[in-house]
Amino acid sequence: MTNLLKFLVRYNNLFIFLILEGIAIYLLSTGNNYHNTRVVNGIRSLTLGIEAKISNTRNYLNLREINSNLAEENAAIRNSNGLLSGKDNSLFFSVFDSAYQQHYHHTSAEVIGNSINRQKNFFTLNKGERQGIKVDMAVTSGNCVAGVIVGCSENYSVAMSLLNLDFKLSARLKSNGYFGSLSWSGLDVQHAILNEIPQHVAVNRGDTIETTGFSAIFPEGVMIGTVSDFENIGGDFYNITILVATDFRKLYFVDIIGNMMKTEQLELENLFQ
Amino acid sequence: MINSILRLGLIFILLILLQLLLFNNIQFSGYVNPYVYIMFILLLPVEIPAWLLLILSFLTGLIIDLFSGSPGMHTSATLLAGFVRPHILRIISPRDGYEIGSDPSMLTYGFKWFLSYTILIVVVHHTALFYLEVFRFADFFRTMFRVLLSSLFSITFILMVEYYRRGK
Repeated sequence: MTNLLKFLVRYNNLFIFLILEGIAIYLLSTGNNYHNTRVVNGIRSLTLGIEAKISNTRNYLNLREINSNLAEENAAIRNSNGLLSGKDNSLFFSVFDSAYQQHYHHTSAEVIGNSINRQKNFFTLNKGERQGIKVDMAVTSGNCVAGVIVGCSENYSVAMSLLNLDFKLSARLKSNGYFGSLSWSGLDVQHAILNEIPQHVAVNRGDTIETTGFSAIFPEGVMIGTVSDFENIGGDFYNITILVATDFRKLYFVDIIGNMMKTEQLELENLFQ
Repeated sequence: MINSILRLGLIFILLILLQLLLFNNIQFSGYVNPYVYIMFILLLPVEIPAWLLLILSFLTGLIIDLFSGSPGMHTSATLLAGFVRPHILRIISPRDGYEIGSDPSMLTYGFKWFLSYTILIVVVHHTALFYLEVFRFADFFRTMFRVLLSSLFSITFILMVEYYRRGK
């Protein structure tokens, strides 16, 4: 206490100066609009900077939840988009006409198990029959082909990955519409083979390959990949290597697409087979 | 004693009136705004206690602020000048020290001493004042230019008045 008093006495002029200067600065920052704004803004930018850092960290920690929310939102938007898109090119339609009803149904799901290093790869999703998932629904990731549901339990389902030798898909060249059969090469996670494209068709590296919609599993026009290489092996068909657009090594959130008119289509097709 | 207090009071009122009525209205291209009231701080006796000097500086600044509508600005600048004055006096003290009970005037300590004394205090005061007025470091050199020009005018005025006082 004595020391404190000594200290105060020794520097009394400094303290008088600081107190009076404090009053002056207070007057300065409250009495003048301009200075007031500058002071308030200065403090605010400081606190905002700190708050932004805290918020960034919090967002990072919540990223998983945010991602799944976004995925569900995406699915909902695709659903509503499907409701509207059937009406594009017709002048008259009845809202009760089944021809214009929603064609595809989207559900988002999280990949909880995945394999990429076998010849027959599957991945597991966290949604099942209770969530409306059925066998033979299509699975896409970021609007690119990922696989097909092959088995469902109550809350889980297993999808055959595109990286599976049993996976066959009807695919076409986006530029000219010639279609063929796509399967995995079995060699690495990035490449698939497209067969049955006749040799008179112009193929270029970088051409987009998309689904045809013939199988009633995938909607028409879902991206599969791009032509990375093609060779003329002497037969009637090209041997086209596809660079797959989906990166199976980081498959986390997928869309499950159900064709609501599939039964109808298959029944009709079965009549003639 | 009473005589010198009265004389200082008269100088104080004259300087404030001069500042408010004349120099506050000089707006020479926005660069020259002399603040001559600081001369009051210059003329206070050498041996004035530091606390009294601080309070007088505060009041001087406050009065100027009240009349020129800029609360706090002149107060903090003048207060700073009052705070550094004892230190400046110590730095530039003449070889044989200050005479007891003397005023820091040109008559007592000579032109050269008074010139450096005036320059130091006026520059401190004007620097604080102009940077507080701008209140940001953008246009740093522009503000510095204003400080230098205005200081030049203030110093010239103070020297002229002091020279006249000496002659009397």
